[in-house]
Amino acid sequence: MKEKLAEVVGGLSADYADLRYEENRKTRISFRGKRLVEVASYETSGGHVRAYAGGGKAIASFSDPARAASMAKAVAASALIVGDKRDKPLRLAVAPTITESFPISSPRDVRTISLKEKLDLVAHYNETILREPTVATTEANYDEFVSRRVFVNSEGSVIEYDIVVANILGFIVTKKEEVLQRVRFAFGGDADFGRLQGRDADLARQIEIARRLPDAEPAKAGLFPVILDPSEAGLFIHEAFGHLSEADGLQNNPAFRAKLQLGTSLGREILNVTDDPLPPGLPGSYVIDDEGVRGVRTSLIAGGVLSGRMHSRETAAEFGEPLSGNMRAVDTHNTPVVRMSNIFIETGPHTFDEMVASIEDGYYLVGAKGGQTSGDQFTFGAQWGYKIENGRLGALVRDINMSGELFSTLQAISMIGDDISFGERGGCGKGSPPQFNRQSGKGAPHIRIDQVTIGGV
Amino acid sequence: MHNLIEQAKGTVDQAELYWKRGHTISVEYENQRLQQITENDLSSVALRVIDDGKMGSTYAVSPNQEGLLAQATAAAAYGDPATFSFAPAADYPTVDVFSAETDALTSEDLVALCESVKAGIVKLRDDLPFFITADTESEELVIETTGGADAHSRSNRLFLGFGAPIKGAGMSVFKVKGSVSPFTRVDELIAEFAEWYGWTEKTSTPTTGRLPVIFSPGASFLYLLPLWAGVEGDAIEKKTSPLSDRVGEQILSERLSVIDDPLASTDPGSRSFDDEGTPCQRRAIVEKGILKGSLLDLRTAAALGQASTGNAVKRELFGSGTETKPNPWPINLTVAPGSVPYREMIAGLEEGLLVYYGMGFHSGNYPQGKFSVQAVGFHIKDGVVVGRLDRTMVAGDIYKDFKHVRAVSSERGRPLSFLGGLTPYVLVDSLQVAGA
Repeated sequence: MKEKLAEVVGGLSADYADLRYEENRKTRISFRGKRLVEVASYETSGGHVRAYAGGGKAIASFSDPARAASMAKAVAASALIVGDKRDKPLRLAVAPTITESFPISSPRDVRTISLKEKLDLVAHYNETILREPTVATTEANYDEFVSRRVFVNSEGSVIEYDIVVANILGFIVTKKEEVLQRVRFAFGGDADFGRLQGRDADLARQIEIARRLPDAEPAKAGLFPVILDPSEAGLFIHEAFGHLSEADGLQNNPAFRAKLQLGTSLGREILNVTDDPLPPGLPGSYVIDDEGVRGVRTSLIAGGVLSGRMHSRETAAEFGEPLSGNMRAVDTHNTPVVRMSNIFIETGPHTFDEMVASIEDGYYLVGAKGGQTSGDQFTFGAQWGYKIENGRLGALVRDINMSGELFSTLQAISMIGDDISFGERGGCGKGSPPQFNRQSGKGAPHIRIDQVTIGGV
Repeated sequence: MHNLIEQAKGTVDQAELYWKRGHTISVEYENQRLQQITENDLSSVALRVIDDGKMGSTYAVSPNQEGLLAQATAAAAYGDPATFSFAPAADYPTVDVFSAETDALTSEDLVALCESVKAGIVKLRDDLPFFITADTESEELVIETTGGADAHSRSNRLFLGFGAPIKGAGMSVFKVKGSVSPFTRVDELIAEFAEWYGWTEKTSTPTTGRLPVIFSPGASFLYLLPLWAGVEGDAIEKKTSPLSDRVGEQILSERLSVIDDPLASTDPGSRSFDDEGTPCQRRAIVEKGILKGSLLDLRTAAALGQASTGNAVKRELFGSGTETKPNPWPINLTVAPGSVPYREMIAGLEEGLLVYYGMGFHSGNYPQGKFSVQAVGFHIKDGVVVGRLDRTMVAGDIYKDFKHVRAVSSERGRPLSFLGGLTPYVLVDSLQVAGA
């Protein structure tokens, strides 16, 4: 197969072409309340081809491998149409040619575990949640994605690599009178089934919060100082700052490019932010990206100053900055886009207790609940929180959404904890149509932000 | 009938084949320049079976893929007992969603459309790093069941979107248009875009407190998605919906009528059958504020002892496609127009907001009818737009706040979400606003 694919891209009349072919196995088990709504384990396949010609670019996805050559030709012709309309040709940064395989192995590899064992484990967690009397319903899912990929390009790279990710994740939904609350749980993040087992104590903590939450008061709207827990701080740095460090989003936005020149001061000296695909065992870890470029550790903010960003070969050429290996495609229906691997705020000097003691009237926000960003505006929720009054943690609060503007909020990070942790489950939506990437890691210590807008309901 | 269904007849209790083939071409302009052409040629299959009374499913690229039936049967061995039957034979309504002209569009045609939009924008504003996207989609869908359902459709859609990032902010002003047939001129939309863009030159902070808010068609998802969460069969079955057992009650203002309209001819959101092969039908969900009905697929209908309303869609809140199992969704959710031009709504406000998008919707408690979002839009004072909103949150409860609607506009547009159907501007009496 790989020789045939290499022939297809090698024979094209284009300045550059690459082709990725995938054989994917997906396993999904889903409970909704007591109901097992789906058990499915199945295979799909397909290819994605990209061509640069005459300064333009075109791409295509196809299901039928017999269509590879004709789709590739069509793409090369379309690239010329694009090039013809452009006064500024698209170029690619030089990247090493790689002919290597990058298989994945794990001590209790999910690929060696039976469907029955996976089903029994999710059923066990689901039943545990359903035993709590305040639970109205549950969502409990096993989600496994195994991808065998071949990447070839017209420069001679021939790369075979695997992606293996398994998660158990879902929601505990509790209800009391008219108040309904959802608390998340998520285990896993890589190929190791062992990480999914024996998590009863972690689940029990989430169930306890979900039990108490309907009795909590809603957050009040207004401007407040807040402490974000590592999960919420990781989501903040991912949503609000990380997406603006992905160069494909900046490439065609002159105002933000001007605002985000390397060397620009973005925060106080204690703020350091890094993207790193190389540590093993995190949700966003990998060796090679979907453009055939090795992933590297990239310092994004060092000592409060913008120090780097994430690139494709195209954006690295345009910005004149080093390759970072951040091009990822969720599956064969999608073209790779620049995206974070494992982004994290590095540890700082403060303890959690010092942060709480520093706030007279504010909130401690816990548990990422999804967010959204557009340019420098961000909004995201917390699953629960606590009021902080006169330097002490107070009552549990619910229904918390916070929003703000990135640049002033980064400057308002005044304390950073000494206690980093990473979320186990990755997740990020980007692009149009949206590509949901399981392999997106987020980490942070506790942080204090001097002022954000809390929108209460 | 595909031979997979013929083969299934002798092997399992029941089977359902869903097979979609699509060809799409997409042209993207960024910062005034043609950036990329995309052409996709994709096929996907979902097979559901009931074997020994239990449900199993599998997915593939082609129905001819080897071992498909065995794979679905193997999944059924673990499955829950089936509580419903796949769709029976039916007569499907005729819906005009095929256009030979759209079917024949090439990437050059889409480039020409985008070039005309580009020329139109440049004539009014040559200083903007605007983006334009034109997509055309040709789709063939087949749903066949062992019970005799034999649904086939061919459809075409052409979508155009354009906009530009607001100076000094990350948000954009954007406009969209969708159609079954090709179109070439969008002058009015370009003029409205230029006017709205002009309103963004200054920021303006509203008073914190309760203010009237106009929801543009683009922002209608902020109240329609909570409403969906209240009327979809799964929430009704589980009794987690705030609308359980409330058919016939006044739940919204009498000025609001919400209709699922899958049969509107030449509407790109229309279709004659749902993703389970049940015929689609035009149905009032809310009529003059009174709750009229729910959205059911085959499973939730069986659980509630009713018939499917033809609302099975392979969609979840975050994700859709062949590999998603069917859930109850509207097919083409519309809101009936009123009689007030939206400019009159603006002119009549002492202070208020015009919201065209809301960020962070999914982190709110929408299943209970609530939303709390960062409002994207404009601040209105003394009857005129005085600037764009910046760091402004708007929060509400549709079952309280949308009981008090002052006006519904005569103009309609499409929401910026997958709901897709035509909606008017809606002026809500007052909502909680938190300014910066």
